[in-house]
Amino acid sequence: MGKWKSVILPLLIAVTMVAGCSGGGNASGPKTDAQGKNDVKNNSSGTGKTFTALLDNNPTFPYSKSWPVWSWLKEKTGVTLEVQTPSGKLDESLNLAIASKSLPDLMYMPNRKESNKFGQQGALVDLMEYMDNMPNLQAWMKQYPEEAKAALSADGKMYMFPNQGFGETNRIIWMYRKDVFDKEGIQVPTTYEELHAALKKLKEKYPDSYPLSIRYGQIPDEMNANMTVNYGTGEGAYYDFDQKEWRYGPTEDNYKSMVGMWKSFYDEGLVPPDFLSLQTKQWQDMVSTGKSFVTIDYISRIDFFNNAMQPENPEFNMQFMAPPAGVAGGKQLNPYFHYMEGGLTVASTSKNIDDIMKYMDFFYSEEGRTFSSWGVEGETYVKEGDAIKFKPEYNDVIEMRKQTGLQTSGTYTWIDFNAHLSLFSDALKHAYEEAVKYDPSAMQPRPAFTEGENEIISITGQAIKKHRDESFAKFVTGSRSLADWEKYVEEINNLGVDQLLSTYKEAYDRVLNIQLSAK
Amino acid sequence: MTRMTRIWNKNKALWLLFLPCLLYYLIFRYAPMFGLVITFKDYNLFKGIWASDWVGLKYYRMFLENPDFWPLMKNTFLLGMYKLVFGFPAPIVLAILLNEVRKAAFKRFVQTVSYLPHFISNVIVASMVIMFLSPTGGLINNLLEWIGLGPINFMNEPGLFRGIYVLSEIWQHIGWETIIYLAALTAVDPQLYEAADMDGASRLRKIWHVTLPGISPAIVITLILNIGKVLEIGFEKVFLMQNPAIYDTADIISTYVYRVGMVQGNFSYGASIDLFMGVISLIFIYTANLLSRRFSETSLW
Repeated sequence: MGKWKSVILPLLIAVTMVAGCSGGGNASGPKTDAQGKNDVKNNSSGTGKTFTALLDNNPTFPYSKSWPVWSWLKEKTGVTLEVQTPSGKLDESLNLAIASKSLPDLMYMPNRKESNKFGQQGALVDLMEYMDNMPNLQAWMKQYPEEAKAALSADGKMYMFPNQGFGETNRIIWMYRKDVFDKEGIQVPTTYEELHAALKKLKEKYPDSYPLSIRYGQIPDEMNANMTVNYGTGEGAYYDFDQKEWRYGPTEDNYKSMVGMWKSFYDEGLVPPDFLSLQTKQWQDMVSTGKSFVTIDYISRIDFFNNAMQPENPEFNMQFMAPPAGVAGGKQLNPYFHYMEGGLTVASTSKNIDDIMKYMDFFYSEEGRTFSSWGVEGETYVKEGDAIKFKPEYNDVIEMRKQTGLQTSGTYTWIDFNAHLSLFSDALKHAYEEAVKYDPSAMQPRPAFTEGENEIISITGQAIKKHRDESFAKFVTGSRSLADWEKYVEEINNLGVDQLLSTYKEAYDRVLNIQLSAK
Repeated sequence: MTRMTRIWNKNKALWLLFLPCLLYYLIFRYAPMFGLVITFKDYNLFKGIWASDWVGLKYYRMFLENPDFWPLMKNTFLLGMYKLVFGFPAPIVLAILLNEVRKAAFKRFVQTVSYLPHFISNVIVASMVIMFLSPTGGLINNLLEWIGLGPINFMNEPGLFRGIYVLSEIWQHIGWETIIYLAALTAVDPQLYEAADMDGASRLRKIWHVTLPGISPAIVITLILNIGKVLEIGFEKVFLMQNPAIYDTADIISTYVYRVGMVQGNFSYGASIDLFMGVISLIFIYTANLLSRRFSETSLW
């Protein structure tokens, strides 16, 4: 098979074997150095702890040892982090670290599924057992029980520190060229019917354009979620809060009307004929050169396009668009994407577990929250009465992160999102204010699965998902007729939809029954 | 024993030269093979290989009972065959053509240009293909329109995927693979050509009766090796080029393993599919070698 496997798997195995051969006593090998050093360094303050940490590295603001955030953290908590960043992808570095049993004390994991897996395998500490050490986290959990529950694994344990606030950046919204709509006198659509009419009108005026263009092929799950929520259904198994039951979206009637609508978009040239495989670069070009006027993407794209285009074309005005309702009288909704999956975990082999818990608890205090959102008073922010403001030299989120290291991997859990908001453009601020109005009433539950359930989801779930994606593409492009719908429903049910739904239901019920009893 | 010592003493330097190579293969190729035991275990990364529980043939059964098993096998096999049938002769043809070119400068120019794409990463090649073939302003479709043909949505047609893939593979690797045949061609005795000239052979005749037989051992050996690789289609490029509209022909075993094995972190499952495919590849290469040994004098062993 591909190079990636022939290289990575044997390497991984080789590393495991070498580690295995050299005996279990070696488990804390590399760490003893750090440990030894830290005993020596144990200086006047008496709390000069050093923890090793594997943190993610973002190319936009690459990790730097000299970021002031590290010295600020040391001032506040007495802790120094000895950071390693992944040499390649984070997942691979994590796998290697765990297979080789040389685990750093703290590890940043990209999602909860990963941390639950490694936790259940015994590599991570169950945070619930250390709640006595973390009064702030306990208080936080009382304040946000739903978020705390979402952080639990299938066995009722918590392997990853819950985070909050940061997920806001993950919002995906509809946006449109306000200047073009105004110029042509087109109303902002509130339903797909109106959207259809608006797109048609735009196509008449600009025959070379494809008025609606999305990055379907690059982020298919997000696009499916967005399209289906407009139609009041789900992109896969979803929980219907009204009926209080798990349902499968892609076989429902509303899903069929959605497919029909996208088919007419496709047939009438309102979306690019290759919208299923459009590359990000192509999509960006279409939107920025006035070949597309409506799109769906991450909320920050508003600034991305406006900042790039306005110097040349001051008219260019990308703005938030309210999500159109799929069916007349339906709800106008955006999907619930403003959560964050990643977070910090603690290695079960660590020698400093108690100290780490005390350190991490800081981030759930008001002081910790203000610090990780805004930085240090006088250095990065000033207080005006009750309101907090960044100092004027910090006028851009990315630059702020690059210079200070604030809000980079491993330096936050609970964030005041206003810190971000205060640095955004007016158009983007407006989008955040508006977007909140179209939030669903609740987040889709994301129950944690056991290993066995995960196997069902990965095998059966993949087969179903593949058929769904393939059929969507075929129905829309017309290589399969929508008259075949009944047959498609039967096919997809035969792949095991019932089994998938009962797996979700079981996992969900289990989570519901978990009592958040901090010991 | 004395014989062994004698051999050792006689070739000491050679053995020492060979040693790093031997160690490399032992440590990085043979030792990791023991890790294949995870295909029979419920591999727990943290506990390690030996402490994980045995599950027998569970993962193999899971793969065989998968509803996608046959389509995946078919797609992988067909894509590999297409690549072999069309991709294998291409560098031979190019090598022979280059061999006939009289102007050395032109020859070197063609050679350089044709092997450059080999050094472009697959990510770039895949996006180049997608962009060139795009119906919205792609180069190829602009050309088609210019000569009066309607735009074709290349990347949405399951029937076109294999062709596009194989063509891009040929474009990418033709020059590189030509090198081996050009090397073989330098070994052909020029006297043979002179003799053929004397007998009044035309150019085509000389290619047919002198050039081709001259490089046929090289052709057969590479063919056998390539047959062993029919199922080892590069993951990266297929993955980057596919989209749901063309899963029919573009979903192959390695992309499936990626979705199920790697994304879901199911190492045991991924590794067992890999081993399964490895065994099939071994059967292929063994059969090809057997046939070759029976019908010609060249073979791998």
